[in-house]
Amino acid sequence: MAETVLDARALRKSFGAHLVLDDVDLAVEAGSIVGLLGPNGSGKSTLLNVLTGFLAADGGQVSLRGSSVGALPPSSIARLGLVRTFQLPRMPSRMSVREVLLAANRAQGGLFDALVGRPTDTARTDDLLEQLKLAPVADQPASAISGGQKKLLSIAAALANRPSVLCLDEPTAGVHPSLREHIVAMLKRANAGGVTLLIVEHDMGFVRNLCRRCVVLDRGKLIADCPPRELTEHPRVVEAYLGRKVARPVVEVPA
Amino acid sequence: MIPIIIDIVLRTGDIALAAVALSAGYSLVKFPNIALMQYATVGPFLAYLFASWGAPLVAAALAACIAVGLIAVLLNITVFDRLLKSGSAIAMIGSLAAGMLFTAALLVTAGPDSRHFDFPVEAPLNVFGSPVTGPQLLAVAISLAAFVLLAALLFLTDIGRCMRATATNPDLARATGIDARLVVRVIIFLSGVLAALGGIGIAVKGELNILMGQDLMLPVFAAAILGGLGNPMGAIFGALVIATAETLAATLNFGPLIGKAFLFIPANYITAASFLILVLALLFRPHGLFVNEVKRV
Amino acid sequence: MSEFALHVATIAALYAMLALSLNLQAGFAGLINFGQIALFGCGTYGAALAFSHALGPLAGFALGLVLVVLVALLFARLGRNLGADYWGIATLSIGEILRTIATNEIDITGGAQGIGGIPALFDTGSPLSGRLILFAVVLAALIATWFAFRRLTQSKFGLSLRLLREEPQLAAAFGYDLDGLRRRIMLAAALPAALSGFLFAHYLTFVGPDQLFASETFVIWTMVVVGGLGSHAGAVIGAIVVQCLFALVPFAKDAFGLPSEFVAAMRLVLIGGGLIGFLLLRPQGLIPERIGGVRG
Repeated sequence: MAETVLDARALRKSFGAHLVLDDVDLAVEAGSIVGLLGPNGSGKSTLLNVLTGFLAADGGQVSLRGSSVGALPPSSIARLGLVRTFQLPRMPSRMSVREVLLAANRAQGGLFDALVGRPTDTARTDDLLEQLKLAPVADQPASAISGGQKKLLSIAAALANRPSVLCLDEPTAGVHPSLREHIVAMLKRANAGGVTLLIVEHDMGFVRNLCRRCVVLDRGKLIADCPPRELTEHPRVVEAYLGRKVARPVVEVPA
Repeated sequence: MIPIIIDIVLRTGDIALAAVALSAGYSLVKFPNIALMQYATVGPFLAYLFASWGAPLVAAALAACIAVGLIAVLLNITVFDRLLKSGSAIAMIGSLAAGMLFTAALLVTAGPDSRHFDFPVEAPLNVFGSPVTGPQLLAVAISLAAFVLLAALLFLTDIGRCMRATATNPDLARATGIDARLVVRVIIFLSGVLAALGGIGIAVKGELNILMGQDLMLPVFAAAILGGLGNPMGAIFGALVIATAETLAATLNFGPLIGKAFLFIPANYITAASFLILVLALLFRPHGLFVNEVKRV
Repeated sequence: MSEFALHVATIAALYAMLALSLNLQAGFAGLINFGQIALFGCGTYGAALAFSHALGPLAGFALGLVLVVLVALLFARLGRNLGADYWGIATLSIGEILRTIATNEIDITGGAQGIGGIPALFDTGSPLSGRLILFAVVLAALIATWFAFRRLTQSKFGLSLRLLREEPQLAAAFGYDLDGLRRRIMLAAALPAALSGFLFAHYLTFVGPDQLFASETFVIWTMVVVGGLGSHAGAVIGAIVVQCLFALVPFAKDAFGLPSEFVAAMRLVLIGGGLIGFLLLRPQGLIPERIGGVRG
């Protein structure tokens, strides 16, 4: 059994009187791809925010490779290798696509590097833009590209950060199918290169294709932890998605 | 003790109206409108002008307040709404620039000299053994009346409910059929009226000059931020804190604290008291004394 | 007349350094500094205090640097948990507190009278040639600042500044330490501002608190907004345009026989009108920021 790289224990978070995370435990093994599922409002995004430091938990612990990161600001957590993307990636309007991708890799980006005039290594970025078919829009403002391209860019940028664990918030929701294949291929490549992935996703095809393990949240509680093919037979999952009295399946439309 | 309390009440009245105006405006139009300080200067000048044409003081003040309220709405539609699209900081710079244009206009039309409202000189009244002048009482009465009316408007009327709903969640308010634009305009009009009224209150018990607004700016910001920007009633409390700090700094003997007979804070530093409170508030309680939230990033 | 032109040119160049400094903060990193003049004041009072304690200009420059580093770090610390508009108010009040101290600590700063008689940096026997040399030094300092800042902003460090300005959340997700970035920007921007103040003190030979009014900060803001936020050339051109217009105001007053209030009012109209006019009609300024300029 591989070592645990990301370990969350007894996480609690509430907004006012509303309990969003109720004693959530989650251990992610190094090199795995874990799908994080659950109905809308079940606390998936909140869990991602708490894990990556963008929200402070009310209780519980998060540790990355054995050391606690719960009290650190998001930027420190990202520097330790736990990187995330956002559900609706917002991109700067006065930076080009290429510049965003360049900025994503912090290496040699310090004040001192700038003063001694260290040249910016653009070859790798240009390769990446080519691979992602973003080269034609490389010089456009990053806010002006399509929503799907923004997702592609934000995932590529997160990977350029060389994370050990990457948390993705709905990486393919609302993305054109042709771009979706790019994203899947990119994630598979990254995982083969040793990046652990934790993915919030609604699309079951995507989850079956990529994940060997799924965890399901419902109303802030972890209700299932199993391979994707067992999900449809898991009684609590079926109940959470279909409700006790609803007879026909509710299909979630990607946002 | 009584004189200190009277000083605190008077000073609170000076700051509170403009602070309430700032906070009320911020609750709907999310930027700190620096031009409000100039509304507090233009208000008394207009009132002075109308009074010099022979209008009774109350009518002159009322007309001046309404005029300033209309100016505020007009500026919001033509300038600030458009600047706000580029961010609250840009809108704030725009409001500062608008303030400069007001000062320039007053400089050319009214000139740099101080003026007084004409009041018959009367013997000061005796309040618990301390002298209080008629104009001072008038200023306090103006402030109190304004607060009561504002509170009644906010909490008892439909427009107040709509305003609070819009401030909390503009999209939801719009969905429930509230005309958000109308609500915003009413509140901007009121903020102009309140700022002008605050300026008139200061002017009737002292003097009016073109620097009033500038002097008012940091104490008013300090009060509004202490009360939580966007919380008009909190701003009154903030004004009370600032006024108390300033008054105590001016009157207390700090000598015994360091083992000397007398130590008074030099008069020139008293204005800096509110600046210092402002900086401390921004360091430790940027969302006001009543909110204790920590936002990460 | 040529002496007047030299004066305008020297002041314009000193203000251009302040505009470059503010532009690095506000234009590139989105830090709305309303206390910029305090950084300048650190330089002027550094020079003045060294002179009043019979120390040489080198000590004055060093003192100015120490002061400006402290103020810049305080500004950066305040930026840790404040939105852009709140930070603007915070820096404005610190500027006013520092001016109050300069006005009231009469024993140290000379109070409202300030400190006069600061010697010219270059004593060549003739005042004109001394001023010419000083202008050359100011010009060299301006060019050095411009060059260094261009290097900063065209590097990856510059990209992190712009990311901080536009999407701080994304910058944090990329692992950029936002507090550290603010600190570095403030320090980098503070140095030329203090140098400008130091040279200004030795040029004017007088330092006083009236030079530190908040309105001076807004003069610098106008230069940056008119020139174009996020453009170094814009900041310099904005400084030249505004200073030249200021220089023309007294001539206009004399030519039309206007009262002396006109000069003060006209300056306000130029600053306020320039700010509002450009923000509304040409928010990108005379020379817009270049997008996609960093290619390696």
